[in-house]
Amino acid sequence: MTPEAADPLDALFRAARESAPDTSRIELAFETRLLARLREPRGASIFSWAWKLAPFFAVVVLALGMWNRASAAHLESTASLVAEAVREHPERLVLSLVARAGDR
Amino acid sequence: MTAALAFPVLFAAKSDGAVREAAEPTDDDLVAAARRGDHDAFASLVRRHKPRVFGTAARFARDDHQLDDLAQDVFVRAFQKLAQFRHDAPFAHWLARITITACYDFLRKERRIRDRVALDSIEYELRDSSVEGAIAAGRARELLAWGMRQLTSEEQLILTLCELEERPMKEVAALTGWSESNVKVRAFRARHSLRKILEDHHDS
Repeated sequence: MTPEAADPLDALFRAARESAPDTSRIELAFETRLLARLREPRGASIFSWAWKLAPFFAVVVLALGMWNRASAAHLESTASLVAEAVREHPERLVLSLVARAGDR
Repeated sequence: MTAALAFPVLFAAKSDGAVREAAEPTDDDLVAAARRGDHDAFASLVRRHKPRVFGTAARFARDDHQLDDLAQDVFVRAFQKLAQFRHDAPFAHWLARITITACYDFLRKERRIRDRVALDSIEYELRDSSVEGAIAAGRARELLAWGMRQLTSEEQLILTLCELEERPMKEVAALTGWSESNVKVRAFRARHSLRKILEDHHDS
C-alpha cells in the first residue's frame, strides 16, 4: 500500500466520490420549472432596475435640495439688503421708480 | 420509368435533406434558435446538459431544494448570457464555467449565512466521529461536507473540483480563471486545512 493510499483524507474523498448523490428525482420536469421561471413577467427585473437606479435618484434629489437651499439663502440675503436700503434711503427708491417709469 | 429513375440527382438531394432534418440538432443550432427566442430549443439544450450541471451542483448543495435552486440559477445565467457565447469553445465548456461561477457564488452566500447561525445538532454528532469510523458507517459524504463547510469558499471550490470531481489542474485553472500554479498551491493549502480540521475535532 502506498503512503498516499493510506492517507485517511484520500480514503474519505474516495468514499465520498463513490457515494455520489442521486439527482434523478430533482431532474424530473426540471425543464418545465425552468421555462416557467424564464417566462415569468419581467416585472421583477423592472423592480430590480429601479433599485439599481436608486443611488442616481438619491444624488439628483440631494443636488436639487442643495440648489434650492442655496438659491433660498441668496434670495433671503437680497431681500434683506433691499429692505435695509428702503428703510435707510426711501427717497432713492422713489427716485429709481420714477426714473424707470420715465424710461418706459 | 419512375420519377426517381428519371431525376436521380433531385431525389438524392431530397433524401439527404430528410436525413439532415431527422438528425439531432447540434448545440450551436440550438443556441442560435434559443437566441431567436425559441424557448423549446433552450429546453433541449437544458435536457442535454443538465446531468453534468446537476452532477457538479450536487457537490455543493446541502439538500434537494438548494440543488434545484442552484441548477436553475446556472441555466438562468446561461439563458441571460447566450448572446455572449462566441462559439470559440464547445457549449459544454462555456456552460461548465457558468456552473462553477454560480457554485462559487452559492458557496460565498452560504458562508455569509453560516457566519450568522449556530451549528446544528448533526454537526456536533459528526464532529465526534473519526474519518475511518465515518467511512465504515457510510457517512463519508456527511463528514466531508461538514469539514468542507469549515473552509473558505475558495478552499471548498478547489477541493471539490480537484478531489471530488477529479478534474485535471489545467481544467480547474481554465474554469476558475486562476493560474495552474495558483490552483496547485490553493489545493495543497486547502487539503492541509481540511486535514487539520478533521484531526482537531476528532482529538477534542
